Amino acid sequence: MALTVAQLMDALPESEDREIEELAVADRVADPRSLASMWPVPVGRFHRLRLLGTLQAKIGAAYLFHWVRGWFRNAEENKRLLAETHWKTALRVLDSMTYLRGAVMKLGQMLATLPNVAPKEFIEALDCLYFQAPPMHWSLLRELVHNELGDDPENIFASFDKQAFAAASLGQVHRARLKTGEDVVVKIQYPGIARTIREDMRNLALFMLPSRLNRDWDCLKDQVDDLCLRMEYETDYEREASTQEAVRKLFSEDDGIVVPRVFREYSTSRVLTMERLDGVHLDEFMATNPSDDVRNEFARKLLRSGYRMSYTGRLMYADLHPGNFLFMPDGRLGLLDFGMVVPIEGEFWELMRRMDRGFSTGVQADRINGIKEWSWITDERQDAEPLRLLDQFTDWTWRSRSTIGEYDFCDEAEFRRGIDLFLALLRTRFARGRSQTLSISRLNFGLASFLYRLKAKVAVLPIAEQEVRATGWDRSEYALRCDA
Amino acid sequence: MRITTEAKAAMRLKIVETAKLLFAERGFEQTTTRDIAQAAEIATGTLFNYFPTKEAIVQELVDEALRAAEVRLSEQTSSSAGTDLEVSLDEELFAIVAAGLRALKPLRTYLSALWQTVFSPLASATDDSDSFRARHLECVSSVLVRHGFSADVAPNVLQLYWTLYTGVLVFWTSDKSPKQEDTLALLDQSMRMFAGWLIAERPPSRRKKSSA
Repeated sequence: MALTVAQLMDALPESEDREIEELAVADRVADPRSLASMWPVPVGRFHRLRLLGTLQAKIGAAYLFHWVRGWFRNAEENKRLLAETHWKTALRVLDSMTYLRGAVMKLGQMLATLPNVAPKEFIEALDCLYFQAPPMHWSLLRELVHNELGDDPENIFASFDKQAFAAASLGQVHRARLKTGEDVVVKIQYPGIARTIREDMRNLALFMLPSRLNRDWDCLKDQVDDLCLRMEYETDYEREASTQEAVRKLFSEDDGIVVPRVFREYSTSRVLTMERLDGVHLDEFMATNPSDDVRNEFARKLLRSGYRMSYTGRLMYADLHPGNFLFMPDGRLGLLDFGMVVPIEGEFWELMRRMDRGFSTGVQADRINGIKEWSWITDERQDAEPLRLLDQFTDWTWRSRSTIGEYDFCDEAEFRRGIDLFLALLRTRFARGRSQTLSISRLNFGLASFLYRLKAKVAVLPIAEQEVRATGWDRSEYALRCDA
Repeated sequence: MRITTEAKAAMRLKIVETAKLLFAERGFEQTTTRDIAQAAEIATGTLFNYFPTKEAIVQELVDEALRAAEVRLSEQTSSSAGTDLEVSLDEELFAIVAAGLRALKPLRTYLSALWQTVFSPLASATDDSDSFRARHLECVSSVLVRHGFSADVAPNVLQLYWTLYTGVLVFWTSDKSPKQEDTLALLDQSMRMFAGWLIAERPPSRRKKSSA
């Protein structure tokens, strides 16, 4: 469905709001988070529902409007409008997210992993959410720790940093030292956040009601139900601790990949205490102008960690954003945050085995077979266009996997192509697929954008082929040879 | 025979401790003043000499718990004095209420006995100066003064605070969330809202650096 300029103009906020809006924006430029953090968190479902809807409309309208307007303006003015639109949108998003905390913030994090969909200013504002969300003050933390661990933090730990060094949608992270001498980080969840997320997810389901008329409703519903379940998992730190321990066992010292040790006796479903790793995140790492070799070595570790988790651990890391990886000074890669890890078990694992050929050979016929099975594509005429787009998108997603030799992840045109294909797919409103489609999309986009930002150029095939052996699958008929 | 002050105090303590045990065992509603007198091995009439109602015993228990919380809070404040972290107004108010909630935890299930009296939003402002309400508001006032507000805090400001505070208490007693975590969120947001409003209401020349 093509939108007209008039429709997009209509979708923008009313003109009488403009003056108030400009005032509000000017007010917040100094520190966009300061104002929002003073707002009370809305508790009524309908109040939140209205906010969420407004937020989606505003972001969507602002971006679509910009894209369309851009076709009619000269470059210089376009640039000005671009910055203006991005900044205003970023501010709106930041405000609304701080306000709503829960699931909407996660949505922001998902957007922030797509550098070319979301422009630089937008990403910078959203990136703040990883580490600079409004903190819980010390007195609240003390009560939470007392509730969870049975005593005040100053009695339980040898030292406990009152200032959070990282904060995100679900919790905030403090440095501490155990009485036995280990340096740790303690992740503490904001009280009641789990219920907030459930509410947001129910709201999301309400927004999707118009899609019920769509023939792909059941699949879409399955996928959203799956995401709801994962989000609930993510609020359970006990579950996260178990996953983290399972993943930790997958790597040896030679891999150069580290997963922090969990201290169970200082952890509950709302508090997670783990070993502290030294290192920096992606942006800080890139600011040091690392050499190609150093960047590519980290990229190989990142890829290996993903394949190891999938093929040996049968776990899928569905929260692949820069805040979850540490570039350690000794060259090791630190993996953090295991709340959003999806088990690949039963039927899903069996499906993975059957899909292997389709996604690893790079041959179109194999790929089409795989897509047809994954998305229940028929030979009906209305499925022809989605199949064509899915084929191109799947090719884009998995091409690095079947490329002999190095694959250049920082090819901007290629990255752009993937985003355009993804948007084209969204426009077809084709939503058939397995319940894991959303998680896999997050993983693939997250990986592609991470490696793009890391400016990586590495051979993926040898790593993937080495790791896939752990499955024991018979691949003799189709496996690619790395030395071919 | 004259009863000494010490003996009176000992008797009060005995009644209160006995009542505490019975409330915990049977629940507040199921415990009568006769039960308490019987368990304390005194005549019901003697009990009434000390406490005219069952609610008055609860009030004594609450008062005792809150006095202990006040001591703990002042120790905490003095031990953290001189640290680099600047404590915001909303955090200080949060800490006062949270210390009280901790102390009241064993009494949570029968606190509702005091909704009409001590913890009523309408509790009289002209109560004697040693009442819990007076002591609590005195503590709040001193925090406000520390954050640059004038020493004669307007009565409506304190009334508004008290209404919020008693609201949080009522919510807490019926909070069914795990470990009453929803109360912590409500308290955090209530104090943030109150402090934010107070700072916004302050004349611009006096706003300075104080933050919500």
